[in-house]
Amino acid sequence: MRDESRLRALMVSYQAGHFESFDEIYAILAPVLRRYLYRQSRDATRADDLVQETFLQMHRARHTFDPSFPLAPWAVAIARHVWLMDRRTASRRPWATADVTEMELPVRAEASSFADRTEVRHALAQVVSPQRQAVIQHHILGLSFREIASRAGIAETAAKLRSSRGIAKLRSLLSEKTREHGHD
Amino acid sequence: MTEQTAQPPRALRARLLADYVPVKPLAAPMARALWMLPIAVITLLAAQLVFELRVDAPRLGWSGTWGLSTAQVVLGLIVVTAALREAVPGRSWGRAATALWIGVPIAVVVAITWASWEVSPVHLRGGWYFVGGLCIAGSVVSALPAVAMASVLAARAYPLRPAMSGALLGLGAGLMADAGWRLFCHFSEPAHVLSAHLGGVLVAMCLGSVMARRFATNP
Repeated sequence: MRDESRLRALMVSYQAGHFESFDEIYAILAPVLRRYLYRQSRDATRADDLVQETFLQMHRARHTFDPSFPLAPWAVAIARHVWLMDRRTASRRPWATADVTEMELPVRAEASSFADRTEVRHALAQVVSPQRQAVIQHHILGLSFREIASRAGIAETAAKLRSSRGIAKLRSLLSEKTREHGHD
Repeated sequence: MTEQTAQPPRALRARLLADYVPVKPLAAPMARALWMLPIAVITLLAAQLVFELRVDAPRLGWSGTWGLSTAQVVLGLIVVTAALREAVPGRSWGRAATALWIGVPIAVVVAITWASWEVSPVHLRGGWYFVGGLCIAGSVVSALPAVAMASVLAARAYPLRPAMSGALLGLGAGLMADAGWRLFCHFSEPAHVLSAHLGGVLVAMCLGSVMARRFATNP
């Protein structure tokens, strides 16, 4: 209850132009949304991505928040929509979730310095599906983030986030592999 | 889960900050629906100003003509209000409420049709398809400005189910248009009114659904 009235006040302040309020809104609301989205998706990384997307959508829809109503149902309604859109996109594009270990992928020159193609493919297979799709579509197939966003039905920023997170995960997986080779 | 920190990720924060401007909160749905009032009044008056008042108007009396049509316009505005509320995240209608929002106005149109028929039965004897087509087209065309305006109002919110809010606003706009059109149409025969006039309302409802989906800005 105390959180709810605090949230309403913070959201009103965020609407009015105090960007600092966002940090506190995030701190209170992100765990709630993460729990909700995790319950829906049963995938922790996907839930994290969807939380980011939900906050993006909340930012776009911030003018629709009415302070005479609680913030949580408003935010959860947006989160639910984000989850449904994500699920719809995934069901419409089964090709994007094909087994990447079987794909013939061109790999950029710098990759050969720390791993061979097989290792890149195996590492890529360990990256969660939405991030993997973004990495493949941008870094391998050469699609722009705008194109990726429009194909997946998400915001351009969300596509960038997915790609950069995928690359970070890939990098960490390949670095681990390189370290293991070093120890061998 | 990978991120349990209370701080928002830097990339997300930067993205939000990039297009951050203060915003004015959206007015209540009823206040926004009042923007439709001028169009509603014009729609109510247009058909009988351009053409003429129905021939059986003296038999129906003021309440049977202007009274019922005004009530139908008010009902249309209330349905548009429901549509604008539906367009706000977290304030969507449940299945039962949605069914009532669609079913009750249709039942009201049917009741008005029967009431007019009881008081003043005017048969449509010839040119059934021509008159029917004219009434459907007239209802739909006169509903178009209201559908467009309501679609813009709904899109300014953030409809998470644009097809649903569009259907409701199309229904509301259709009711307003038909309220004006029934003042001009000389025939009270239920078969004509329920197919052509109510048909026009349902076409407006479908148009509203299509337009709202096109105008919706959220993914």
